[in-house]
Amino acid sequence: MAQARRGVLAARARKLKSIVVAKRANAAAIHSAANASGNGDLPTEEMIFQREIERIEALVPQALFDEAAYLRLNPDVQRALELRQIESGYAHYLQHGHAEGRPVPSAPTESRNVMLPSSPRADVAPLRSSGAVDALVITPNAGLMIVGWIDDSAHPLNCIRIISAEWRLVLDGSQLMRVRRTDAEKALGSRTRHPFGFFGILHFERGGAISGSVTIELWQHGGLSTTLQCTPTPAEDVELRSTALAYLAGAEFFGNPAVECMGSLSQGVGTQLLALNQAMTRRIVANPYIEQFGRPRANPKATIVVCLYGKAEFLFLQNCLFAGLPGIDEYEFIYVCNSPELAETLMQEARSASLVYGMANKLVILSGNAGFGAANNAACRVANSNRVLIVNPDVFPKDPSWAARHLEVVESGPTDRTQIFGVPLYYDDGSLMHGGMHFEVDVGLSLSGGQPIPTRMCRVEHYGKGAPPETVRYTRSRPVPAITGAFMSLDRTWFEELGGFTEEFIFGHYEDADLCLKSIEKGVAPWLHDIRLWHLEGKGSTRQLPHEGGSLVNRWLFSQRWISAIENGLLGPEPTHPLLRLPPEAGISDKEPNRSSRRRRAATTATP
Amino acid sequence: MKILLISLYHPELVRGGAQQVCYELFRSLKRRPGIEPVLLAAIDPSFKALYKSGARITGFDGRPDEYLFLSRDYDYTWHKASCHALIESYAEFLQLVRPDVVHFHHFLLLGVDLITLTRRILPGARIVFTFHEFMAICDAHGHMLRPYDNSLCSHASPVRCYQCFPERQPEYFFLREQWFKRHLSAVDSFTVPSRFMIDRYASWELEKSKIHHVTNGQPDYSRGQATIERPHKRNRFGFFGQLVDNKGVWLLLRAVQLLRSDGFADFTVQINGDNLKFASDERRTEIEAFLAKESCIPVGERIVYFNGSYSVDQLATRMASVDWCIVPSIWWEIFGLVISEAWMFKRPIIASNAGGPAERISHEKDGLLFQVGDATSLAHAIRRACTEKGLWDRLHKGIKSPPTVDSMVNGYLPVYDVRRWPTAGAQAV
Repeated sequence: MAQARRGVLAARARKLKSIVVAKRANAAAIHSAANASGNGDLPTEEMIFQREIERIEALVPQALFDEAAYLRLNPDVQRALELRQIESGYAHYLQHGHAEGRPVPSAPTESRNVMLPSSPRADVAPLRSSGAVDALVITPNAGLMIVGWIDDSAHPLNCIRIISAEWRLVLDGSQLMRVRRTDAEKALGSRTRHPFGFFGILHFERGGAISGSVTIELWQHGGLSTTLQCTPTPAEDVELRSTALAYLAGAEFFGNPAVECMGSLSQGVGTQLLALNQAMTRRIVANPYIEQFGRPRANPKATIVVCLYGKAEFLFLQNCLFAGLPGIDEYEFIYVCNSPELAETLMQEARSASLVYGMANKLVILSGNAGFGAANNAACRVANSNRVLIVNPDVFPKDPSWAARHLEVVESGPTDRTQIFGVPLYYDDGSLMHGGMHFEVDVGLSLSGGQPIPTRMCRVEHYGKGAPPETVRYTRSRPVPAITGAFMSLDRTWFEELGGFTEEFIFGHYEDADLCLKSIEKGVAPWLHDIRLWHLEGKGSTRQLPHEGGSLVNRWLFSQRWISAIENGLLGPEPTHPLLRLPPEAGISDKEPNRSSRRRRAATTATP
Repeated sequence: MKILLISLYHPELVRGGAQQVCYELFRSLKRRPGIEPVLLAAIDPSFKALYKSGARITGFDGRPDEYLFLSRDYDYTWHKASCHALIESYAEFLQLVRPDVVHFHHFLLLGVDLITLTRRILPGARIVFTFHEFMAICDAHGHMLRPYDNSLCSHASPVRCYQCFPERQPEYFFLREQWFKRHLSAVDSFTVPSRFMIDRYASWELEKSKIHHVTNGQPDYSRGQATIERPHKRNRFGFFGQLVDNKGVWLLLRAVQLLRSDGFADFTVQINGDNLKFASDERRTEIEAFLAKESCIPVGERIVYFNGSYSVDQLATRMASVDWCIVPSIWWEIFGLVISEAWMFKRPIIASNAGGPAERISHEKDGLLFQVGDATSLAHAIRRACTEKGLWDRLHKGIKSPPTVDSMVNGYLPVYDVRRWPTAGAQAV
């Protein structure tokens, strides 16, 4: 803006006289305005001109002025610019073009990215560019998703206006994810590295009713608009979310997909997906169906919360393998289910389990997939103890006395070491799967802007993944940057002070690390205590393409939220954060035990 | 003393070794004073007419103390009872019968979890489990026969089992083992009909001291009247049993083909049995093609004759037309009831050198063993049996009497800890 104004003032000095003639028609009005402002003196020509310029600037701000299109529509101005007779197309418009009634590019002027009532008439423009809308998926009162492509290599896509009989919507081009479309490249015979594809998603609370086909206008910079007719696909919000996330996971890019995807998520797609997901989550957890099977223990010392998704058999497998172990009678079990289609099976299994194993299970059935965090939060709200254990369905006892030992740690350990703690977990092959978690930061280069732009992404790693089972450095009691959500023992009061799991994350991934970082932020480090369980990682639920998309969004969200904290003392396997310093009395030699001490170790208890 | 015998199928509905042994035990226990046996035989929904509306457990054909467990919604993956009403009915049945001993002869169609339930309902009862194959260890029908190359499997592990079932993951097999072991931990005593099984289950980490060898026993179907003809040659061979893959009739037919190709055709093979429908497509096609081709040969020139199914009443007639019995099983044949049946009729056996047959048959003394799964080795044994003078007579003389039902019952009574019930213990033993 400042640059344009300097250009205007410079030009004014050279061409003032000729311009003033053209402005006389408005002089009277301007004069009146000056009088109204209390200036009794007649304004000079320079003052008149300056006010005129300001008036036009207010009418057409430079931010909304399409420079390229103005030059294309006015070839003489283009030539004048090339001859350096004018500073810019915008400067020309202010000085001459407006008064001369020069053609200016048009573009939708409505507020963008919000649902609006329909206008009485749509500005239907002729088809100008090659392009198509492959899908418009709409969930009334929730959101929509649009997928298509356009040849906008010369004139970039500005916005997309969708007009139905009852509503209209303008999606800003900057919020669209641009993706590679090899089919479009083939159709256009293009060899340029241009992402012809676009993908947009928008969350809204109201509107979006579907009644017949809609008009879609693809507006490009330069005033080009391409008008298409499209019949929207109606979908439930669950389907809309899954479709969008699956598209995200399968999208192609020029460059590293993870890096390019992060960039696009930051531009708006991520925020919209999170908003859609959060609205769904709130709806799903609002009215859970809760039923108790078997006689519950009156005052349980701890509550085991298991979140099920896609696989019902883990209820009876866990009941079978947890039942009868020393100390297990002190626990209550809550299974929260993110797969409503499993409800009937689970209720039958829970009923049978109470008969076969004598296990009391409380079932919390949600109406959809609320994700790991929200589901566990919902289950914790109905727990009857002040100690909650978040346990994955594919976690099973390795140490038969784990339940008794866990209570021993909780009851005898210092509070700050037991408010949030994890345990070593093992693969079915006997090797270590988890001995705590630490953080790394990956730097990827995005090439979409024409030059490499670094993108920083957080990554969570497990200590000791695949290590020999008796690797003391990973199994000993110690503070760690994070613990896996596959097994978390939490003081319920502390858990609630932390606000529980953050519910913005989609499906699952990163909520565990996020919770640990919230705890560290509030002054309590997560610990790991040597109580051993199996973890058949990744086998406890089904995983499909939408979950991959969810993971991408979660990584983006997690990185946005925590990268500064991580880079400030929590980075790498040996973080320097003061809360993670091993207290002297907890220091145990890194030396691995010999065979005899291994045998002894089997009989020892954890040392919090 | 009340003993509940739990069986897979009733032998009069579906033939099979496990149910036959269980039923013989039931009948024999009924004759022992002080013992009240009750039979609960599981059937599957293919016996639709026997499923009475709303019933989960019913009687069987008006017979005292015989009941049918009407299995439904059985979970074949986890071998688990999935119908809650059925589980409740079983629990109620236990409470009504109040057995002192519950003797499982299988978990198939019942659910291995019913063992755990039995312990919960009857904490003081003795639970006995008889293994009739390796189904707890091996997901390949308990045969420990690797599906991709038909080699015998020596031990199970998550990765080895995954190799047999690549569509599943090692973790499934890990959990499967944990699942079975947890339920089997409710058992007081295990029994196996062959000793080699003890080591197999012990190496699977079942407590060895809890595993006992109790032989299978049968009534003497020959009634001491085994017909021995005195023909010029001993070149008539018989196969008795199921025509399913692991019983190896296809291997026998290949051996016949090898001998015929070699110009040796002076022998006959009588095939007695059925259930070809349960063979794999590949084996069924192979067997059917062989038999079809054989049927085109003039009767006097044929080697193989297919006689179809038989009952124990027909055993004497069928045995009378053979000199030798062949047991070509390609798996760890557990016991081989057919060996006992052949011995009742004093027919020497030619059998695979694995599992129960290898344990029971003394090579060159009462039978011949050939390399398991090897048609050439079997062909060689057949040729030798036909041509070696004095061989049949020598092996015939070496044949011992097979175990009787009484010997089986006497083997089970200590396992039942019958002395805990003095009245039964004194009278029954």
